[in-house]
Amino acid sequence: MIALAWRNLLHDRTRFAVTVLGIAFAVFLMTFQSGLLVGFTLAASRVIDSYDADIWIMPRGVPCFDFAATLEERTRELAQGVAGVADTGRVAAGFTVFQKPDGYRQTVLVLGSDERFAGAVPQVHTGLRRESALVDETDAALLVAGHTPAAIEINSHRGTVAGITTGFSSFLGSPYVFTAYHDAVDFLRVPPEKSMFILVKAVHGQDLAQLRDRLRARFPNYDVWTSSEFSTRARKYWLIQTGAGGALSLSAILGFVIGLVLISQTTYATTMENIEEYATLKAVGASRGFVRGIVLVQSMFCGACGAALGFIAVDPAANLARALVTWVFVPRWMFLAVTLATLLMCALACTISIRAAIRVEPGRVFRA
Amino acid sequence: MHSESRTIALSVRGVHLTFGKGAAAVPVLRGITTGFEQGEMTLLTGPSGSGKTSLLSVLGCILRPDSGEVEVMGQSVARISEDARTRLRLNRIGFVFQAFRLFDSLDALENVALSLRLNGVRRRERMERARAALSGLGLEAKLRCKPNELSGGEKQRVALARAIVHDPPVILADEPTASLDSAAGLKVAALLREVAEVQRRTVVVVSHDERLRAYAHHSLHMLDGQILEETK
Repeated sequence: MIALAWRNLLHDRTRFAVTVLGIAFAVFLMTFQSGLLVGFTLAASRVIDSYDADIWIMPRGVPCFDFAATLEERTRELAQGVAGVADTGRVAAGFTVFQKPDGYRQTVLVLGSDERFAGAVPQVHTGLRRESALVDETDAALLVAGHTPAAIEINSHRGTVAGITTGFSSFLGSPYVFTAYHDAVDFLRVPPEKSMFILVKAVHGQDLAQLRDRLRARFPNYDVWTSSEFSTRARKYWLIQTGAGGALSLSAILGFVIGLVLISQTTYATTMENIEEYATLKAVGASRGFVRGIVLVQSMFCGACGAALGFIAVDPAANLARALVTWVFVPRWMFLAVTLATLLMCALACTISIRAAIRVEPGRVFRA
Repeated sequence: MHSESRTIALSVRGVHLTFGKGAAAVPVLRGITTGFEQGEMTLLTGPSGSGKTSLLSVLGCILRPDSGEVEVMGQSVARISEDARTRLRLNRIGFVFQAFRLFDSLDALENVALSLRLNGVRRRERMERARAALSGLGLEAKLRCKPNELSGGEKQRVALARAIVHDPPVILADEPTASLDSAAGLKVAALLREVAEVQRRTVVVVSHDERLRAYAHHSLHMLDGQILEETK
């Protein structure tokens, strides 16, 4: 069966090549768009995931890290007194204006935390002088012409970009500017009695859901989330509420649909081209399963070859795209997922062809 | 010699078949009753539209008659399921077609082996049997040739090898010589007779070619869906 399916495909090499190219394009589209979606999702919560905190406390209704609001700074001391809390810290974050000496202005997202909570977030160490900041390498050319230290102004406060960091390229097009907590509140003009997020570390072995509930009871006017909950909340906000995720998901689905149509069309054309052979098979006693198997195997062959070709193009394309969209990310598991989707697509696509092959009248073999 | 072992391998009794419905209905078989003996080659002749190929299709379990009885190797087949008819075609009947109906993407050996593959024969055995069948028909030098590399006569011999390789008791051939030149046609006719006589199969051949009468044990002349004349 496999030999016949394969030989039939190769018998018309041009058609086979066109089919494989079509599927390769669809596979590429699906993988790349899914990579955009995954990268967007991860980028939406990257900062939250990078801080070293178990629980976040914030003003009610804050949907994500980027759109913070102020809360009472003394919340930190009050949270410290809740059973199960090992340590508390603060984060200040907000959009403000960054200005270069030449007058160039750029909206940036300034963020700073107490150092012991910084985790993987770039941190200005206390050894540096006050009003120092770090910018990501992807924004360095724009903000400091690639050179540090560079004198700048943030929200009309003088400051210095003291260094360049990596791994935190801008998510919304507004570069991140990393500072110490006390500089962040200055740059953002947060009053001394206010902060923006309170971070909590739980004592070792503490059940985080229970601690979260105790903190919620203690601060009924604030939102209290575990880190993973806040991360999910931020992702949902960016993916669903802003519509950005919907657009990316639709593109990935579009890739699937294009692939489905391409494979359906070509499989059907190939089947109809060989319909006399299917009639012969039926006449000489081939079971419906055998006929079905040939069409399915042909479709799967096309899918597998198309997937392999499409995947080859994904990494180079993603590397090129990162110059424009820094958070494009195609994890390795994506290839497996798209392979399975492609095979499913092939199985779906050949259903019409299978019907045609099975329903062909074997009596037509007697026509000359 | 054959009188001792005379067996009716194929038979039809009162078979009616109509194509189309209502005003467009065309009766193609009108109460056909006849039998085909094991070890004999029967020639079905008649003008176009006389019902020869329709009768062959009914005998081959490809068409189901509107009424009447059809028996293949003693088994009544007129009312069995489609799957059972498919299995019967697979196990009991070998077909030879006017247009050869070989698979262009497969070579001669693979075309013949396909018949065995459908019968569930293991790869090694089916290749051996296919090779033997082709060699038996003088095609040992053409095993790896694709159909487009074969002459018409060679293609029909490959088709005949495909029809007999799984050892069916019945061979049905539709105009097997129509696409061949004269010499190749007569060679195929001789082979079909040999298949009937030597291998003790029941061979039914539909043909316009009157020269085949010389090779047949038995001839049926059809006209307007009926058997007009029967010759031994």
